[in-house]
Amino acid sequence: MARRWIRIGVPAGIVTIFLALVGLIGGFTDVYLIGDQISFAALMMILPPFVAGLVAAAPRVEGGERLEKRIPEAAVTAAIAGAAAGATFALAVVLADWIGDERIRAVFINVTPQLMEFVTFGRATMVGALAVIAVSALAGLLGGVLRVAPASIRRPVTVAVIATLLFGFLQRVIPIALDQLSLERDWLYSPQFDGLTWIGAIVVAAVAAGISFLSTRFGTRLRGSVARIGGSGGPAISPVRLLAGAIALGLLIVAPLLLGSVISEVLGTVMVFALLGIGLNIVVGYAGLLDLGYVFFFALGAYSLALLTGATLNAFGIPPEPAISGSLNFYVAIPIVMVIAAASGLLVGAPVLRLRGDYLALVTLGLGEMVTVLVGSPWLVPLVGGPSGMRGITDAAIGGFGFRDPQRFYYLALAFVGLAAFMSWRLAASRIGRAWTAMREDEQTADAMGISTTRFKLLAFAIGGAIGSLGGALFAVKIGSLTPASFQVIVSIQVLGLVILGGMGSIPGVIVGALVLVGLPGLLREFEEYRFLAYGAAVVAIMVLRPQGLVPNVRRSRELQDEEQAQDEWAKAVEEGETPPDIASATGATT
Amino acid sequence: MSEPARSTDAVLEVRGLEKHFGGLYALSGLDMEVRPGEIVSVIGPNGAGKSTLFNVITGIYEPDAGDIRYENVSIVGLRPHQVVKLGIARTFQNVRLFANMTILENAMVGQHCRSKGGVFGSIIRTPGIRAEEERIRERAKEALSFFGKRLSGYRLEQPAFSLSYANRRRLEMARALATDPKLLLLDEPTAGMNPRETLELRDHIVRMRDELGLTVIVIEHDMRVVKGVSDRVIACDYGQKIAEGTYDEVAHDERVVEAYLGTKATT
Repeated sequence: MARRWIRIGVPAGIVTIFLALVGLIGGFTDVYLIGDQISFAALMMILPPFVAGLVAAAPRVEGGERLEKRIPEAAVTAAIAGAAAGATFALAVVLADWIGDERIRAVFINVTPQLMEFVTFGRATMVGALAVIAVSALAGLLGGVLRVAPASIRRPVTVAVIATLLFGFLQRVIPIALDQLSLERDWLYSPQFDGLTWIGAIVVAAVAAGISFLSTRFGTRLRGSVARIGGSGGPAISPVRLLAGAIALGLLIVAPLLLGSVISEVLGTVMVFALLGIGLNIVVGYAGLLDLGYVFFFALGAYSLALLTGATLNAFGIPPEPAISGSLNFYVAIPIVMVIAAASGLLVGAPVLRLRGDYLALVTLGLGEMVTVLVGSPWLVPLVGGPSGMRGITDAAIGGFGFRDPQRFYYLALAFVGLAAFMSWRLAASRIGRAWTAMREDEQTADAMGISTTRFKLLAFAIGGAIGSLGGALFAVKIGSLTPASFQVIVSIQVLGLVILGGMGSIPGVIVGALVLVGLPGLLREFEEYRFLAYGAAVVAIMVLRPQGLVPNVRRSRELQDEEQAQDEWAKAVEEGETPPDIASATGATT
Repeated sequence: MSEPARSTDAVLEVRGLEKHFGGLYALSGLDMEVRPGEIVSVIGPNGAGKSTLFNVITGIYEPDAGDIRYENVSIVGLRPHQVVKLGIARTFQNVRLFANMTILENAMVGQHCRSKGGVFGSIIRTPGIRAEEERIRERAKEALSFFGKRLSGYRLEQPAFSLSYANRRRLEMARALATDPKLLLLDEPTAGMNPRETLELRDHIVRMRDELGLTVIVIEHDMRVVKGVSDRVIACDYGQKIAEGTYDEVAHDERVVEAYLGTKATT
């Protein structure tokens, strides 16, 4: 037990060292989130010991029983874990200073004088190192206290901190919206340092905490009454979720008007990826088939749209028209594209149906890779332009009203996302969705209960493929030209990442996942080169901390976290001879 | 016991059924017949091939030789979901529910093969689809109500994993009933149940025949259940039928005693 703080603190310190070496500290000392004190670099330094404190204060499990820590015990343990993290990092700082940062720089180019100055607080190395330990211990302490605080305090505080940081990160988005609405912005965002002002930060935190407090307080009560009214007509949606959904939808609709065309451009990409996510979600989330080659449908949609509606080849030395090119209207071509994609889904699906899990993933990965090679091959130059691709793709105009403009494109994409989400939602709630779920739960039993697993796997591939091809077609409209470079295997991974991040099987989750994984890096250009680092970290973190995703599907959340809790509650109620509570509403409170 | 009836009135007729796994002969030339409205118990020591028999009948395994005729049509080579559609439903020895689906949804899956809503209908939610969905729901509830209050009411919306062991077994049977079967195969339905639950289930099996008019084949180790429900008992060993008849006849059959207890020391 005594070594617990080492087991938690030292890895956290190593994470800090890693963040420093990849440049996430040294390069961001002047990216301010709040005032001119809390920079992104400072956040990166405080976060690992804070998390160490959180973990160190977690309840022990002994003999199947959770032993909650008391606040003093938790605070001490957490502070020590934080200090251990700080000490590990401080040791590295001292070591770096002793070796000389210019010599380290030969290998780790991010160990800049700026970094060294920042991590020692501009003091002598030893003094700085002690300061690092002290600050880390404090961060650990805060983490620990937060962990053991009662939920009525913990939730509002957590929400407030996250909201404040989010507002800090969106320093280039929210001010634009405020300007557009001709609202005063200087009190919220500092004109000098770009980040939030302290007053602004406090206001944001207070409002977020207040909303969180009220929603927990009145949410449960409302939920109870809805559960009574709803009866047994399927799982009841909590009014808090409904309200949050309505606000989110409203924001999605007004966003481009408020944010201008630069950000709308990013949001348009987000919507394309959301569309891909909704499609892949059917295959992975509903039917439980791990498809790593989803880029296949993305490329298929883009290229078949280009060929059906007409485009010009970029390739040098051949006539500037593709060999086969239609001149169909976009809206006539779209259903054809979807049919082609669905048929291809059947073709791709058929040979891999017998495979499960890892094998299916590998084969689909290969199929996805083939498409990049194929569209870039010399053999297909006369058709799709090979490596140099095509241009002059339709802008999906309706009577001269084109959709290439970022703001207009966003609405076109949003409409398609809405359509796909609707289709996906209706299917999930139908006999077909039930068959998919049963198949995901236990394929052989599903077969023995009368579900043709072959048929429903193919159906998932076909429908998922058709929706994915919509994403491809819109992507082609958005950028107006196509090259094989846009259809790399990384697209598959990105889409899978956002489905996992959002919560498999959940449609709102897919949209949140797209906003986080595609939107945030697009908005914060200086983080562009850390994009894939963040992807990896996000996916690993999600799988470890919150396997049900950010916005879980109700069923999945039961499946992955609340299972035991719910069961205990139920069992207890039965023992006491009461009517057991409705499990869905009991677990709803914790998600 | 009368002579076995002519093959034309048998619901299920199994002839010379063989199934090998490598060198292991799980079934080697098994014959059996089941007549409508009968409860037939299949008994035999572990490894006698009882579960393999069920797996072959329901299409999970394909037999290496022999024929299975259901209502005078051969069902050899059909996939499991096709067999269900013909009216043969089953439960598994180790309960296999869709653990994260609700109890009602589990039973609704049973109705899958009796419904046909397609992709476009489901998206548009046509009146036909709504009516079908409602019918599926009602039929599933009806199947669940076979077990009285144990699987109905507030439990409908609870996930299957929250059920007690005995209720899981009941739900598995209800799910099979929801497929509207004519022939029900129960694989050790009382395994792991306590004596009271076992007795209750014994009555349920009899009710399946008397109230629902089903033909039931049950694999069972608990001899009180076998005695209580069986119109006929078939004893197997080494993948073959070694005895057949009423409970008393089979229980005193020399070969059955031998299969369970071993041979008498030869003199």
